[in-house]
Order: sequence, then C-alpha cells, then structure tokens
Amino acid sequence: MAPIVQCMGLTKTYGGKVALNQIYLNLERGRIIGLLGPNGSGKTTLIKIMNGLLNPTAGEILVNGHRPGIETKNSVSYLPERTYLQPGMKVVEMMQYFQDFYPDFRMERAYDMLTRLQIPPGERLKNLSKGMKEKVQLILVMSRDADLYVLDEPIAGVDPASRDYILHTIVQNYNRNATILLSTHLISDVENILDEVVFIRYGNIILQAGAEEIRRNERKSVDRFFREVFAC
Amino acid sequence: MLGRLMKYEWKATWKLLVPVNLLIVVMTFFACVTVRMKVFESGNDGIIFSAIMILMAYMASMFAAMVGTAIYLIYRFYTSTYGDQGYLLHTLPVDKHHIILAKVIVSTGWLLCSSFLIYMSGLLLVAREGELVSHVLDSTKEMVELAGSEKVTFFTIVMTAITYVVSMLARVLKVMACISLGQMSSNHKLLTAFGFYFATYFVQQIINGIYYMFLGVINSRLDTWYYGSSWEFMLIFGLIYLVVFYLLTWYVMEKNLNLD
Repeated sequence: MAPIVQCMGLTKTYGGKVALNQIYLNLERGRIIGLLGPNGSGKTTLIKIMNGLLNPTAGEILVNGHRPGIETKNSVSYLPERTYLQPGMKVVEMMQYFQDFYPDFRMERAYDMLTRLQIPPGERLKNLSKGMKEKVQLILVMSRDADLYVLDEPIAGVDPASRDYILHTIVQNYNRNATILLSTHLISDVENILDEVVFIRYGNIILQAGAEEIRRNERKSVDRFFREVFAC
Repeated sequence: MLGRLMKYEWKATWKLLVPVNLLIVVMTFFACVTVRMKVFESGNDGIIFSAIMILMAYMASMFAAMVGTAIYLIYRFYTSTYGDQGYLLHTLPVDKHHIILAKVIVSTGWLLCSSFLIYMSGLLLVAREGELVSHVLDSTKEMVELAGSEKVTFFTIVMTAITYVVSMLARVLKVMACISLGQMSSNHKLLTAFGFYFATYFVQQIINGIYYMFLGVINSRLDTWYYGSSWEFMLIFGLIYLVVFYLLTWYVMEKNLNLD
C-alpha cells in the first residue's frame, strides 16, 4: 500500500523566507510518528499544507494518494494548535456539527471520552477554560475513524498532570490501521508512544528513523538525542 | 453540504440578528404611536421633549440596525473564514463553492430582511391612517421610476426587485472578495483588505463614469434626453460585478489560502 503521506520536493516560501526547503518525505500507515523540531522549524507549515490550509510554493504533497482537497479531508482528522470552536455553541452542538460533516465521526466514542474527562456536554464552549476547550477539540478529532490523525502540539497548552491522560486518550482511541502524526517539542512526554520520529530544522528534514532504532544505535533516549542534535 | 453549511451559518447569526430586526419593529411601533398621537400639538413641553427623544432613538436604532448588521456580517465572515474558526471551516470535506454560497446567501438574506423592515418602517411612519396600501404602491412606483423605468408595470417591478437583490449580492461578494484578497498578505491583512476595497470602489466609479460619458455622447447625437440610470444597466453591471467578486473569492480560497 502507498504511504499515507508523500512529499516530493515540497517547498514553501513566505516572501523571501524559506519555510520548507524541497522536502522529500514518506509517512507509512499504522505508525505513530513524532514530527519534532524547535520553534520555527517548519512543522506547522508542513501540517497546514497537508491539510490544505496553505498552498505549497513548489513541489507536491499527496495524502492517501490525493492532493489536499475534499477526498483527503474526509480521511484526515486534524487538531490545530489554535482553538477553532465556535464560542456560542454547546459541546454537544459541536459534536453534532462534526457528525453532520464527517461521516466517520463516532458520537458514542465522543460521549464516552467526555464522560471520562468529566466535560458536561451541555456546557457552552465560551464557559470552558482554555485547557478544557483543547480537550474538547481533541475528543472531536479522536472520535473520527480517520486514516491519518494530524495533531499539532496536542499537549502544549495542557497542564502536566493531564498530559499523560491525553496521550492515553490518543493512543486508546485512534483507528489501529491509521497513522498519527504528532508535532511537538515536548518530546519526553510523548517519547514512549512514538514508533518513528522525523526531525525538522530550518525547513529541512534532517532525520527520519524509528524511535527504537535511535535508542539502540545512539544509546540514549529520543529526547536526549533531540537535545544534542538541536543544541544551540 | 450546502444546506448544512447554511444551517450552521444561520445558527451562528440568528442569536444576534433576530433581536436586531425585532428592535426595528419595536422602535417603529413606538415612533408610529408617537406620530399618530399628535403629541407635538399637545403644547406640553415634557411630552414634546419625550416625543423628540423617541423619534431620535428611532432614527438612531434604524441606522444602528443597518450599519450594525453589515459590520457584524463582515466580522463574522472574517473570523469564521480566515480567523481561528477558519481552521475548522477549511478542513471540512466540502466544496469551496458551497462555503462561499452559504455565507453569501445567509448574509444577503439578513441584509435584505433589515433593509425591507427599515423601508416598511419609514413608510408606516409617514403614511396617513388608512392610506398605507396606497402609500406603499406610490412608493414602489417611485422606486421603479428611480431605477430608470419609464412605465411601471408588473414586469418592471419584478425586474427592479431582482436588480436590487443582485446589487445586494454583488455588494456582499465585493466585501468578501476584498477580505479574501487581504488575507493573502503576510502582514496587515485587514489594512490590505481595506486597500482592495477602496481600489475596487475607485475602479467601479471609473467604469460608471465611462458609461455615463458614453451615454452623454449618444444622447447629444440623438438629441434626446435619457436618464442613463436604468435597471437594465444596474442589473447587467450587478451581474458582472457579482461574477467577478465571486470568482475572486473562490480563487483565493481554493488556490491562495494563507491561514496564519
């Protein structure tokens, strides 16, 4: 089967500044992949292009064999770093919204996660804290049976005590044949769930390797290795 | 998916815009009562002052309702399309044409509703008792004549109404196109949108000017008087603007989306 994501010479520039520099990258199916890099390395730009929120300057990206469009949006579940919820809506209305637009949305799974995270479905989103809103967004995204889950900094705005629970929620609720692409710079928190890592710096992919392979070959954790590679 | 998008667009706007339109109705009621009661002939300063205040509040609320509705719809389009909520909107598996159509139909619907209520409110206020129907007919005739028709027939009334709707759609799409073009800028997105709006306005004025100059030349040669303003002209140009602004908006959403 073809990789879930294929980047071929993918380039994005903003004015004269290069955000992605002729990236060639394949992401395989059924893996949990960490997209790791410091701030401004191009992680979010790559993710936005994957989701059709930005257009590449040059090169091509295929998701599930298609350029970003209606077909890919049906199979990609995306959690942005922004809060995209409509503040006037209730949690349950937002779930209905997802069910109306995404055929793969599983309402019972969403209710189950809401109960476990103790979020009242009838609450208006504007009354929830930032952390609670992020949890609602994560629930909505993980309640889909997608082929690719793209999670941009899913634990950045959450208190350390909740991080393990959120990672547990991610791992427990995704479609097993799907790929999770997880962008973060909080590597120590996610290291244990990663199958593979992609290091990105200044818009270039500098490493793509299995997490276990790094630990075996480098004799150090991915977090430690990352700190050495990206040392200032 | 168009129906679902329109449903959620309606749900997102009705909570504010239904009360705004109710305000028009309520203020019209108070203003009409004030005028019908002939309070200005009462001679009581207190009552006259109260009546003046009510009529001023009426005028202010009509203005606020129209301008407020327009500003709210512009703000709603910007935040839901190119703000944070755009991250959800543009990752829905829906056609961009449907996104634009849903927004333009609901926004135009609200603007037409507010315009119609304010128009009827004005007529109610100035019509004498028992003469509302004839007053509405006279006013419609005047509007049709103002739109350039020499004869007022059922056909010209319908065509003037269609022209008005098309003009409103074109105006809504013009704002959407300018905001969309503005978001292509890396910095100063709103400022760029304003720049595009004024540039578009300037170009439209030049096109109108050329049209009237052209008419002037023809009229002088034919030695006949012609208004130049006609529903045909407004309809044709309205349709051209509508298509141009629609395509611009679609092009930006489809090919040049640039969410921060």
